[in-house]
Amino acid sequence: MAMIIINGRAVECAEGTPVLKVAVDAGFDVPFYCFHPGLKIVASCRLCLMEMRSKDPKTGEMVWSPRLIPSCQTPARDGMEVRFDSPNVRQNQRAVMEDYLLNHPLDCPVCDQAGECWLQDYSMKYGNALSRMTEPKTVNPKKSVGSKTLLYQDRCVLCSRCVRFCREVAGTNELCVIRRSSYAEIDAFPGIPLENKLQGNVVDICPVGALLDKDFLYKQRVWYLKTSKSICPNCSTGCTICIDHNNGRVWRLRPRTNRKVNTWWICDEGRFGWKYVHSNQRLLAPMLKGARVTWDAALAAAQQLLAPAGKAQQGKGVAVVLSPMMACEEAWLLAKVVRAAAPQATLVTGFVPKASADELFPVGLTDQAKAKFIIRAEKCPNRCGVEAVCKALGGPQATFADFLAKAKQGTFALAWIVGGYSQEWVTRDCSDALSKVSQLIVQDIFPSSLSARADLALPSCAWVEREGTFVNHAGIAQPFDRALPPPVGCQQDSQYLYRLAGMEGLYRAEKVREQMLDKVAELRDLWTPPAEARGMH
Amino acid sequence: MAWQVINREIAAAPADGKPLLTEEVKAKIARFFPKYETRRAVLIPALHVVQETFGNVSYQAMKEIGEFLAVPPSEVLDTMSFYSHFWTGDRGRKVIVVCRSLSCQVMGHEALLEALRRHLAISEHETTPDGQWSLMTEECLGACEHGPCMLINERLHAKVRPDDVARILADPNCDKE
Ligand code: SF4
Ligand code: FES
Ligand code: FES
Repeated sequence: MAMIIINGRAVECAEGTPVLKVAVDAGFDVPFYCFHPGLKIVASCRLCLMEMRSKDPKTGEMVWSPRLIPSCQTPARDGMEVRFDSPNVRQNQRAVMEDYLLNHPLDCPVCDQAGECWLQDYSMKYGNALSRMTEPKTVNPKKSVGSKTLLYQDRCVLCSRCVRFCREVAGTNELCVIRRSSYAEIDAFPGIPLENKLQGNVVDICPVGALLDKDFLYKQRVWYLKTSKSICPNCSTGCTICIDHNNGRVWRLRPRTNRKVNTWWICDEGRFGWKYVHSNQRLLAPMLKGARVTWDAALAAAQQLLAPAGKAQQGKGVAVVLSPMMACEEAWLLAKVVRAAAPQATLVTGFVPKASADELFPVGLTDQAKAKFIIRAEKCPNRCGVEAVCKALGGPQATFADFLAKAKQGTFALAWIVGGYSQEWVTRDCSDALSKVSQLIVQDIFPSSLSARADLALPSCAWVEREGTFVNHAGIAQPFDRALPPPVGCQQDSQYLYRLAGMEGLYRAEKVREQMLDKVAELRDLWTPPAEARGMH
Repeated sequence: MAWQVINREIAAAPADGKPLLTEEVKAKIARFFPKYETRRAVLIPALHVVQETFGNVSYQAMKEIGEFLAVPPSEVLDTMSFYSHFWTGDRGRKVIVVCRSLSCQVMGHEALLEALRRHLAISEHETTPDGQWSLMTEECLGACEHGPCMLINERLHAKVRPDDVARILADPNCDKE
């Protein structure tokens, strides 16, 4: 531990932490561009300069250094004193800001970044309202640096965060700085565009409106967006994300800093993987034998189907397939509902979609421990959670493959099957096996051959419309909030399961979690990453 | 101009499949390997070798240098474009370098540059269609007391006034001492 004095206030920190980080974490408002906690330090933007008093190595006396020093590049040492509020520091901030705005087009009214732009914020706080520049401004070209990303060079502050990201995290090196000084630009080698699977992050870390997401471009002003905290359901890494939405629509996903899981990044599969939520192909109403029915009728029918099947042999002929797309709470509720009617029902962990291998970044790495980011091969968020729920409940269990094999032999009279995948998942094998099950209740987002022949088909909601907990590949349990209401005609899955389980009122994940706590050890320590100071994300 | 977008998904020039860097050029570059700790450190000497051989360093050449030295092409471009000495496109037989540093600026380098642009009908870092002339600017040429000055290849022309341009360029020996 070290004690340093910032603007006259003593602050405790770990020895060697960059002074800038110590200051920002402690709540001091220090402007900076080039520093990012996930990237190497280059100290090129010169906005974070400070005055520093430290021990003179020759005399051992504490002396103020004669010039300003970059705080991002200076490790905190016990006893040092720094100032970010002296006239010299202020003067530097004003001068540097003036320099950044010399050639800037000041096109905030048509810039996507407006409202979350560090250039805007710093200009307000540290800059000048008037430009003294009378010469014509340099006009730089716009570049399509990749299929998903646009670069407005005019707005760039050349912090090189994007370049360092491609080199250090993605390991794909697409971006570079061409030329130098006032001629410098960000660029990609012609014909080798920015196409790595983490590239959306360069838009997030660009502090200004230079790098733009083509998918989000001109869609929304950011101050009209509402943000909900969620977990990405696309693979078993379970990255924490923000869902930016309004008026019942998702507009973009962004990473939420989480040092334990995804650090500062998310992959493009997750970032752009939400489009199916607004597909017009979704199941939107309960269907009883192919006919649309009310929710009351549907839930009554579910009870009527379960009751007789459950009576025969204590329900040995009943199976419930809990999808790894479900939250723990939902899996728990459904298992409870089915087991209440059929105490010997088989609990099955549903189909686990898999890619061929984990993808490690920087690209080319093979050592998982050294990876800065991993896109996992397991393309679902909660296999671990669903397995834990099954284990906690005990009784007959089966893997999905076992279940299909048994179903093929005609073991089951009734199966309740949950899907919830963003893509077609019912294989020929699966539908063949299930043709031997006489009664089916299917709960899914999209219609399939299964839902078409089901006795009862119940619409599922996408994860943005639900709340609950996912347990990731490493056993970390992370809660997620609901961002959108279910589409018209639908109910949150947990809401109708709640009713079937005989519980009153509105579903709240927390209430169900309380019931699960002493059974499911995985849920005892929920992990929600602490909010980080601005810019440290 | 305003909405022109350069598309980096498209290669600069379609490769014709034939490698530019012949074994001979590669051997010349490889001669630097023992002098440096890493291959990537040989990047600058390699750029010199290639420019000496072909007169410029084309995008195709950058890619091949990158492959040879295990440096990503974007980093070759990054390093090479830092130095105005290297040319991506064709360089004229005579390269005019106008000084843009302080003394020359004060003495009227802008008017000189404008006269050259008009005379040759090209702008900075461009080459005339007949391949005779290229134009560029540089920092201090070390002849500050004679501003504004310019170099034509290796020869320094001092105190050049805009209306001297036509006369100087008409001299076939303007680039020789
Ligand atoms: S494009 Fe953005 S991230 Fe990249 S150097 Fe410019 S300002 Fe920085
Ligand atoms: S110089 Fe310190 S943050 Fe840029
Ligand atoms: S300023 Fe032009 S030669 Fe020095």
